[in-house]
Amino acid sequence: MRQIEYEIINTVEKLFADKKIDIFIGYKKGTLSLQTSPYFLSEQDDVRKLVWNSFCSNNLAVFIPRIIPNSKSKESKPVGILCKGCDSRSLVGLIKEKQINRDNLFIIGISCPGIVDRRKILSRLDGKEIIGIDEDADSIVVKLKDGEKRFEKEEYLCESCLNCAHPTPSIYDVLIRGAVYSLQAITPDPITKDFSSKPREERWKIFETEVSKCIRCYACRDACPNCYCKECFAEQTKPQWLGVSKGLSEVIFYHIVRILHQAGRCVDCGACVRACPMDINLRLFTRVMVDEVKERFGYEPGISLKDTPPLATFSADDKQEFMTEPE
Amino acid sequence: MKQSDNKTIRRSDDKTNYEPKIVAFLCNWCSYAGADLAGVSRFQYPPNIRVIRVPCSGRINPLYIIKALQSGVDGVLVSGCHPGDCHYISGNLFARRKFALMKKFLDYLGIEPERVQFSWVSAAEGARFAEIIKKVTNDIKKLGPLTYFRKDFEKTGKVL
Amino acid sequence: MKEMNSHKKVMVIGGGIAGVQAALDLADSGVEVYLIERSPSIGGRMAQLDKTFPTNDCSLCILSPKLVEAGNHPCINIITNATVEKVKGDAPHFKVKIKKEPRYVDEAKCTGCGICMAKCPVKIPDTYNMGLCDTKCIHIPFPQAVPAVALIDKDHCIYFRRGKCRICEKFCEPKAIDFNQKEKYIDLEVGSIILAVGLTEFDAVLKDEYGYKIYPNVVTSMEFERILSASGPTQGHVLRPSDAKEPKRIAFIQCVGSRDTQIGNEYCSAFCCMQAAKDAIIITEHLSDVEISVFGMDIRAYGKDFDKFIERAENEHNTRFVRVRVSSVDVDPVNDNPIVHYEEDGHVRKEAFDLLILSVGLRSTPQLRRLSAKLGIKLDESGFVHTTPFAPISTSRPGIFVCGTFSGPKDIPESVIEASGAAGSAGVILSGFPNKEIVVEYPSEIPINDGDRPKVGVFVCHCGINIAATVNVKQVVEYIATLPYVVHSQAMLFACSQDAQKLITEKIHELGLNRVVVAACTPRTHEPLFQETLKKSGLNPYLFEFANIRDQCSWVHQKEPEKATEKAKDLVKMAVFKVINLEPLSKMRLSINKNSLVIGGGLAGVTAALGLAEQGYHVDLVEKESELGGNLRHIPYTLEGEKTGPFLKSLIERVNAHPLIAVNCGAEIEEINGFIGDYKTTIKFNTNSQKYQYSELGMIEPKERKQIEHGIIIVATGAQEYQPTEYFYGEDKKVITQRELEKILAQVNPLRQAGPRKLKVANGKQSDNLIADIDHLSSVVMIQCVGSRDDKNQYCSRVCCSTAVKNALMLKQLAPRVKVFILYRDVRTYGMKELYYKKARESGVIFIQYDKDEKPEVIRNENSLCVEVKEKIMNKTLQFTPDLLVLSTGIIPNSDNKFLSQTLKVPLGTDGFFLEAHVKLRPVDFATDGVFVCGLAHYPKDISETIAQAKAAASRALTVLSKDEIEAEGKVAYINETRCSGCGLCVDICAYRAIELDPEKNIAVVNEALCKGCGTCAASCRSSAINLKGFKDEQILATLAAI
Repeated sequence: MRQIEYEIINTVEKLFADKKIDIFIGYKKGTLSLQTSPYFLSEQDDVRKLVWNSFCSNNLAVFIPRIIPNSKSKESKPVGILCKGCDSRSLVGLIKEKQINRDNLFIIGISCPGIVDRRKILSRLDGKEIIGIDEDADSIVVKLKDGEKRFEKEEYLCESCLNCAHPTPSIYDVLIRGAVYSLQAITPDPITKDFSSKPREERWKIFETEVSKCIRCYACRDACPNCYCKECFAEQTKPQWLGVSKGLSEVIFYHIVRILHQAGRCVDCGACVRACPMDINLRLFTRVMVDEVKERFGYEPGISLKDTPPLATFSADDKQEFMTEPE
Repeated sequence: MKQSDNKTIRRSDDKTNYEPKIVAFLCNWCSYAGADLAGVSRFQYPPNIRVIRVPCSGRINPLYIIKALQSGVDGVLVSGCHPGDCHYISGNLFARRKFALMKKFLDYLGIEPERVQFSWVSAAEGARFAEIIKKVTNDIKKLGPLTYFRKDFEKTGKVL
Repeated sequence: MKEMNSHKKVMVIGGGIAGVQAALDLADSGVEVYLIERSPSIGGRMAQLDKTFPTNDCSLCILSPKLVEAGNHPCINIITNATVEKVKGDAPHFKVKIKKEPRYVDEAKCTGCGICMAKCPVKIPDTYNMGLCDTKCIHIPFPQAVPAVALIDKDHCIYFRRGKCRICEKFCEPKAIDFNQKEKYIDLEVGSIILAVGLTEFDAVLKDEYGYKIYPNVVTSMEFERILSASGPTQGHVLRPSDAKEPKRIAFIQCVGSRDTQIGNEYCSAFCCMQAAKDAIIITEHLSDVEISVFGMDIRAYGKDFDKFIERAENEHNTRFVRVRVSSVDVDPVNDNPIVHYEEDGHVRKEAFDLLILSVGLRSTPQLRRLSAKLGIKLDESGFVHTTPFAPISTSRPGIFVCGTFSGPKDIPESVIEASGAAGSAGVILSGFPNKEIVVEYPSEIPINDGDRPKVGVFVCHCGINIAATVNVKQVVEYIATLPYVVHSQAMLFACSQDAQKLITEKIHELGLNRVVVAACTPRTHEPLFQETLKKSGLNPYLFEFANIRDQCSWVHQKEPEKATEKAKDLVKMAVFKVINLEPLSKMRLSINKNSLVIGGGLAGVTAALGLAEQGYHVDLVEKESELGGNLRHIPYTLEGEKTGPFLKSLIERVNAHPLIAVNCGAEIEEINGFIGDYKTTIKFNTNSQKYQYSELGMIEPKERKQIEHGIIIVATGAQEYQPTEYFYGEDKKVITQRELEKILAQVNPLRQAGPRKLKVANGKQSDNLIADIDHLSSVVMIQCVGSRDDKNQYCSRVCCSTAVKNALMLKQLAPRVKVFILYRDVRTYGMKELYYKKARESGVIFIQYDKDEKPEVIRNENSLCVEVKEKIMNKTLQFTPDLLVLSTGIIPNSDNKFLSQTLKVPLGTDGFFLEAHVKLRPVDFATDGVFVCGLAHYPKDISETIAQAKAAASRALTVLSKDEIEAEGKVAYINETRCSGCGLCVDICAYRAIELDPEKNIAVVNEALCKGCGTCAASCRSSAINLKGFKDEQILATLAAI
């Protein structure tokens, strides 16, 4: 871990020194324990504050459309960015959707061992105050007043990391290779498979129960690099797709549509899940579309800059088993 | 502008006398013409559908379907030209991809697949149109009213 | 009317569907038209029909928009109550004198309000309703009449007879009544004349053995059309005349006044079989538990989807077709039931019915003979206009053309085709004159601002009883009045009538309506009519919404009036909610490339190409094979006995010599891009063909590919002969097809005429010793419907009966002793072809009927063929051992129709032929603008029909080509710039490449000229940044909110 962090710092330092970039986006220590914050630094800032650990959860690609407004023009200098596998997949999507010009990015890719789910650890601490954190290759050590607790990372990874097929970035300018868990990516994801096997009424009940927690803060949307719309459907008034209430049917509508809008685009980074203040198990509903898109159209978002997104094309032979025929 | 006139009467949970309301989005060139042909040929079918004419099945934003379910219909039918027949070359084929994903997703969430149906009906298929309407109406009658995802029920707290 | 011979002018005589179509085509091509109609309204016979086969479209419903369009067209002058007095001069300088009879009502003042009609004390028989009920002495001919102006029947008017009354005058607010009106003479100078008057139905009184006008419950098919009609004497209730009761057993007698030597009408009237089947189907919709019998000789279902229609009548509508000739009819005096006498299986049978309908055919009249004398044109023995197979719409006098039934009985689409063809032919005569400048003046548009309060007017149509019998219109009207923004809501008997248009305009002005909803039949046929009314009222035509409460409500819920009414309320409410959200739109104008692409170089393509080139338009003609001529090269002579060779040769020479036609033989379509007015096509020359093209200078240029830019496309790709697999064809040399027989006969014929009694036919792969000597043939059997009307090809190939008759006649002529047997299912020698069927029978050709389920069987022995067939009348199995077995093979669609259909985005019908926009009234158009069809690509047809349709396609194309620009769609996509993130999804999915990304702003931009308005982009945009005018998200959501 430390080794990789040094490598990152050295690389960024050199980029600034060589005047290759003016700005870099990485992670710094967070205000809360078991957390990091995005860190936008320029040459004047302290490169040494950059961190790399198991809690670098934010998908940094989300900031790109916001700081590089025009995808077409080539900026004088690219923006440097630290990318995990999923972040890079998001960047691929953004490039394909013309939100950024590849030339405007300097990507430090990093093979990602997976992000540890802060909430999973917190849930084991019974609310005790954390004094310090130590991390080695395989485990997290949480120091408490009355001792310390060791957590094997593999058991506490985020759901999306557990079934990550592409921990190594799909695009990068420099790649920092770290240890990568030899995970088996499974399609369909076990959680969606399990959910699918439940009776219909129960599925709806679960969905309803989950999304009924929603307070419509839109944190899930704001954390998602794909959600770069200038005006989100949820806030439009003409047409007014949604009422303003937090009523259940509005919330259901919002989540269904958000997920449909991600169809063929979602890279399963888990940012929305981690961003949700109400702990809605969003991935239970987002992941199914990832699997379906892969199965139906053979498409995985964020892997290639060349292949056409599934909803921007068609094949005359697309399956249509779902169409109604008269009896 | 939303009226609440006769809805309350219709919305009994009594499945036997229940008349579902079904919205049918029909493309102008094939399915709408097929529906007209059903009329011209006097093929009788249940009076539960309310047709919204759109130029092409490609015009159907999946949000319309969700919106329809949310705002009080019991089922949605979307019908367009058969593959290859699209008046706009390929609108129906782009639509087919969207519909496929949507259909899968709604099913996954636990919405009965019969609530939202897609079909191809050509301008020459009046009988087929009538048959499809019969099927969709029967399917939805069997399911009963859509109670779990509706704005007006939510207000009365019936669902929660 | 002032006359200046400064621009293109044509007189069309006859305002039936043929005349109206010819007038519209001419007018749309920049020709000023004088449409002369003898009666007080245009519309003709079609206006009196209830429904049309095989789609059962309401006849008046599809006709009425055309009548209104003709009535409103700035280039059409309708002169009613008028006849031709004199025609002098020659084309293109005819001088015509027209006599216009007085109407006693000022056409300019009459509003058609109908008050006079209500007040008039005198009842007279209503001729529109075939005299089955009364109208008033002052009356408007029918609700949808054009012009919708009243007239006084002078002979019955009390004032004219006794000098007193004038009640109508008292009540007429616009002061339109004018008892002093006198006949008027109008002098016209026109370049060409189109004769579109129709024949008259046969007077059934002449067949007194059928008891018409003797027994009360015997009516003619025309009378029955009115009985079936919602606007007829019984409001569409099928009641018999004697006691106004619903009949349970109904019979039709076919061929009354047709195929009848006794009364001298030997021709077939061409449409009556289908008309009876249609009536049968409609009856069962009106009445339950009814039995229908149709007595006739053959079922002549020779058109597109006709056989399927007959099957429907038989299988689903309790209709029995009985193949007999009815000898006489008498009556049961107790209940007035007509009793039909006929012979079946050698027994005389009597059968009583509640109602008997005589399917009357068509005939010429003395009045038509007088008219043709004035025009100086030749008639044939039947009193029909004389035409030739190669010039089916030309009369004997140059510059005068004929269309519709006057040149022989025919169905509506054939009349419409001929009408368009005649318009095209007249256009050729006029090509030296400039177009008539069209200045359409609409009142300036009432401005609609964003914040303006919507004021919606709703008009709910009864459509006679088509809607009102099921939907409670009053309830709908009352309910709608309670909706927000609805300031006016009313019912109308026929919302499509001219007076209804007037009323809508009045309401718009009176109440300041800024949105209009019409609830009626279907927007597919009637939306343009109402949009035009809005335009004329100064309202943007897009502030209109249609609620379909007939085709998709009253007609499909006939047994559930309450639910249908509820549904109608919802549908109208949805339209109201939508219209509130609509906004004014304007259209972009597109320029028209004046070049044409004609695909297919057979008779149809060549004729169409000439039709265009002769009016001064450049044509690229593309033919797959290495030479022009298509199937006609294999048809040496016509049924009438005319040789096709010289005709085809001269046609091809004209094409090759024409400076405006580029002939591309050995070439196929590779790619077609674009849209009406602006197509770009790549053709590829076959590698094994001559790879040449003629340049405009007549030079031959080798080339592999060619790019063509053009404004319209005519599909004339033809069809193929069915290659039989049955009856040992290809295995036994004695089995040949009609086409092969014809080739041999054509070779024999000139030799025979040259003298030698005996001759050998040396060449031709089929000609071996057996048939080389025609005189040695002793018997020939022909089997009809090989590859037609079976499971493989379910349709009738239309021409094979005539081909068999033609070849049988030729065979008989060459070798009178040969015995010819034709095994048939129905002899479908429709129209004038019937005369040759008769001739064949007279020359000894024997016709034997077989049943679909008992097809003839052929047994092959060592040296002979044995044909077995079960003969129906005597119910015996007959055996033949013919020297020659000739298979009448059908016509099958080209295999590459599928490719072309997808490339052009035009549909194919279920049988694989191209599907026109409307089988009755748009027989050469596709739903896609700028693409037309003719010839066998559309459906099997004979030479004359092909020529007429090819000319029609050219004429329809000219309605586009004659304009410099046409209007693009109004409902196009547009961008909300503040929302667009420039992701480019819409750019990728637009099939028309109408969207681009602005590189500066990084947002999408729509090219309105290219946008076709499908809305796929709008449905795909996650940001709702691209939307479709007229189908905006908020508009659709508003509609949804109404449910």
